Amino acid sequence: MIPEGMRDVLPPESGQLRAIETALCRRFEAYGYGEVRTPWLEYAETLEAVEDDTLEAGYRLRDQQGHELMARTDMTVPVARLAAARFHDRPLPLRFFYVAPSIRPWAPQRSQDGEFVQAGAELLGLHTAAADAESVILLCDCLAALGLRDFRVALGTVAFYTALVDSLGLDDDREKFLEALADRDYPLLESIAGNAGVDQDALKVLWRTLELSGTRDGLSQVRKMASSDAMDDAIRRLVEVRDLVEDAGFEDALSLDFGLYQDLTYYSGVIFEAYAAGVGLPIASGGRYDGLLERFGWGIPGVGFAVALDRLHEALEEAGAVPSAAPACIAFAGGLDEPARAMELRRAGWAVAALPDDAPAPPRPRLHRSGGSYVFEPADGETVSGSWRDVLRALGIA
Amino acid sequence: MKLGLACDGGPPPSQVLDLLERAGLQAGALRGVPGPALLDADDATWLLAPGADVLEACARGALDAGVAGKDLLLELAPQLHELLDLRVCRDVLVYATPEPAVGVLRRARTRVATRYPQVTRRHFAATGRQVDLVAFDAALLAPGLGIADGVVELRSRLTLDDGSTGAGAAVGLRVREDIAACSARLVAGRAARALGGGRLAELLERLRASVEEI
Repeated sequence: MIPEGMRDVLPPESGQLRAIETALCRRFEAYGYGEVRTPWLEYAETLEAVEDDTLEAGYRLRDQQGHELMARTDMTVPVARLAAARFHDRPLPLRFFYVAPSIRPWAPQRSQDGEFVQAGAELLGLHTAAADAESVILLCDCLAALGLRDFRVALGTVAFYTALVDSLGLDDDREKFLEALADRDYPLLESIAGNAGVDQDALKVLWRTLELSGTRDGLSQVRKMASSDAMDDAIRRLVEVRDLVEDAGFEDALSLDFGLYQDLTYYSGVIFEAYAAGVGLPIASGGRYDGLLERFGWGIPGVGFAVALDRLHEALEEAGAVPSAAPACIAFAGGLDEPARAMELRRAGWAVAALPDDAPAPPRPRLHRSGGSYVFEPADGETVSGSWRDVLRALGIA
Repeated sequence: MKLGLACDGGPPPSQVLDLLERAGLQAGALRGVPGPALLDADDATWLLAPGADVLEACARGALDAGVAGKDLLLELAPQLHELLDLRVCRDVLVYATPEPAVGVLRRARTRVATRYPQVTRRHFAATGRQVDLVAFDAALLAPGLGIADGVVELRSRLTLDDGSTGAGAAVGLRVREDIAACSARLVAGRAARALGGGRLAELLERLRASVEEI
């Protein structure tokens, strides 16, 4: 038995996941990102430094000296911690990637596993729109490289919302309002705004903005409604990022979404989420987190994203594009007694599972000895019976 | 591409269908359909199913949007966007107890029968009271059976179809506390907005206009 929310991963899924991870790592490396591995236990105060309820709600334990530890609930925070501690004298920018599990207490109503593996990339030290764009482009490139067509990346900005909400004059209800915004609970937004006596015109602007999707027309309308420099800046930034991502050839995948808002407190600017058909939750999400490293003593900006591997796997299953893991493995009855022959096949690139002579017939492709000769039964096609040389020939080796 | 929509139904409430029709959807075909069913109209594919299924189908990205009761949203807390209060099928989740009080049992901890265990647990915990939950679909009958001291239920469901309150109609239930106002809501999964292009935004706009006409 294992705890609820945890799961064992078996072949062939495990191999498929590894193939996906490998493909993602190759893309990350192609953009100059270097892999970091961090411990799955952090000091609780590291994750608490971000002041985010979701990240603080991890499994906790104590070490022998009485320090409070936490199983990491997120990977961006450990990467920020590590960068601030180990790289503060290095030239910027820094580029890190990781493939790692995090654990959050499992809740039956959230259709997410308690343990989830993410593959993520963080670009630290640049505050520009071009850096935002690289992050989005890298994400699109990763998904496209895996053969996922018809994915969609929604691009929004937290900065626009904070400015808009500031203009509503909500005071005490600000946090509640932003939470409702993240959940897109519009009736709740309306009631909070109503109670706080928010100006009806201001509220109308909010509704229009929330509903406008990423058409050119929508964009110009949002521009007209912007009522502060901060809002203007946020829109200009978003457009700049969009143009760069379009330049890179991902215009079909991109949609501007002014209603996008995430409740992870460390996001400060552009945010984005990737969706694919058949998966109800985002397969990847990310954004700019300019205040995060400051909390670890190094005030540099950052932007990054993480792919949820399980969800990406689901999306690839839906699209019929799951990468195959290993070559078909030949079951070689008697192969345990003939390691040299098994090796000969492996050297030629075949996977061979050696079995005892008297093993019950495994599934094809299979190979066994019969008297002085060999019988090879391919997965499909005709059985070859004869000398070892005949077997090699049938496998295209000799 | 056609809209994929869902409605809590079997059959779906006529007030909801009226509203959908006013918003220009061909919802007439759904009238009186007992459900569960998948129906194909010209402008949309419809799922008619219990509310929890509507929420699940939307959360899993199978549909653009759905209509379900706020009571279920409170109970199941699904990862969905709640886009619009349709302001129909209005009701109130209430805590009610028998009047006159039944039985001679004086339990140290009050027992509450309900189909909304999460809502009930939260409500009493938030007000500092500890109660035992009795999961019971026909909650209004539980006090008469002697297995509960009170019920949490929609106000409209505190009476049986014949107007009596059940349990031989000897016991009436009196509302003690309002817990939450409920009504039909338009919900959508998180993926719907990104993948559906402008379809969802357009539907929302039309429905919002219809709701505000009332």
